[in-house]
Amino acid sequence: MENLLSIINTILENRGRKKCDSISPETDLKRDLGFDSFDLAEFTVRIEVEYDVDVFEDGIVYTIGDILDRISV
Amino acid sequence: MSESEIFFLDSEKSVSYKTLLADLNSAKSFSLYLKTDSIYDCFLQILIATLSEKEIVLLDSDFTESEIESLTNLQNGEYSEMKIARSYDDLKSVDELVLRLDNIKNAKITFFTSGTTGRPKKVSHTLQSITRFTKRKSQHSLDIWGFAYNPTHIAGVQVFFQALLNKNKIVRLFGLSIDEIFGVIEKEKITHISATPTFYRMLIWQNVSFDFVKRITSGGEKFDKKTSTLLAKIFPNAKITNVYASTEVGTLFASQDDVFVVRDEVKNLVKIVDNELLLHESLLGQTADLSLMGQWYRSGDLVEVVAENPLSIKFVARQGEMINVGGYKVNPSEVEDAILSLTPVSQVRVFGKKNSVLGNVICAEVVAKSLDEKSIRDYLKTRLQEFKIPRIIKFVEDIKLTRTGKTSRK
Repeated sequence: MENLLSIINTILENRGRKKCDSISPETDLKRDLGFDSFDLAEFTVRIEVEYDVDVFEDGIVYTIGDILDRISV
Repeated sequence: MSESEIFFLDSEKSVSYKTLLADLNSAKSFSLYLKTDSIYDCFLQILIATLSEKEIVLLDSDFTESEIESLTNLQNGEYSEMKIARSYDDLKSVDELVLRLDNIKNAKITFFTSGTTGRPKKVSHTLQSITRFTKRKSQHSLDIWGFAYNPTHIAGVQVFFQALLNKNKIVRLFGLSIDEIFGVIEKEKITHISATPTFYRMLIWQNVSFDFVKRITSGGEKFDKKTSTLLAKIFPNAKITNVYASTEVGTLFASQDDVFVVRDEVKNLVKIVDNELLLHESLLGQTADLSLMGQWYRSGDLVEVVAENPLSIKFVARQGEMINVGGYKVNPSEVEDAILSLTPVSQVRVFGKKNSVLGNVICAEVVAKSLDEKSIRDYLKTRLQEFKIPRIIKFVEDIKLTRTGKTSRK
């Protein structure tokens, strides 16, 4: 989770947005973090580098919980 | 000129014109499929084949055996056994060599394109098409050439003939380190260099200057303003020329900046369709590997028409290189130019990484002294639309080049 938070904050900072203090499995990528499709794409690339999993490969993910499920497989 | 003058020089050997003549006179045959690590051997074999009015096929020295098998349709290294007997009379002087070359009609030099898009394609050129842009005036008799291209590629062979036909000295720069290159330019007082922009980009970061260099030619990829400005500092007295050239056509246009004015002789042999430059088949080398649209060859180069009369064009991108990001088209050259215009950046590579959300994500590898990701992003925001800004920026020590010394986009 820590790791995901730091990836999220890198993305937010790169686009000049405010960092996020904490995330939970319920955090919604679009609604809570304000991610658009470009941010989601960057997010998947960065996750792939760390975990070697393409989290969007088997369909859309909405929340941090969805991502945790995929990367722990 | 005296025959004892140097023809070719590298760190290991120095060959005089006299030795070249002796080697041409003692030669019995040449390799139809030439693969060699020696630049001099490559020049020599090209000359034996050309004087014999035969074809020679140049293979890149880093082609693997299996690549060669598939390109030549010959198994088990058979290609290296294929020797063709020499068929010309002994030469008495360098002047006679030049005179004979001027009257060669049937020789053919065959190249393989560097194949950045798929399998290398075979293209044959006559001596006439290779020397289309060769300059032959007495003022060139004292030129000293820095040889920076791979000798098995068309640009290398063009430089070779430009130098030979003017009886100049050729000094090897190809394959040397930056320090060695500067050392050789200084020591040999090189006056002419022809190379790719990538080659020049390695040089422009050094705080040196050579006032004796008269001519710098750049070709093979898009030339950016920054490289040209910095080159002018290193070579303050050099005329800097940018050429449009490819293995398929040889050299076609030359320009002092990035706008190419199409010369009258070729005006009717080029046209632009959907921003792509099309070349008439009569401009091409002989090849069965290229597909034509009627009589026209699609160059894959996207251009912008700057003026209609005379037709003036600017190269914008390579067709296959446009990166599709969620339906938006990104031209990696444009992004590279923007990043390169930052002072600390010496090299950059922009490419698309496959992605399940957007199709591709724009990534950049950057070689820079003292620069952080944030300053690159802040700067790019002032220059580019958001979707063109690389999402992933990585700092690296150096950047992978293709065989021809261009930046790889793979």
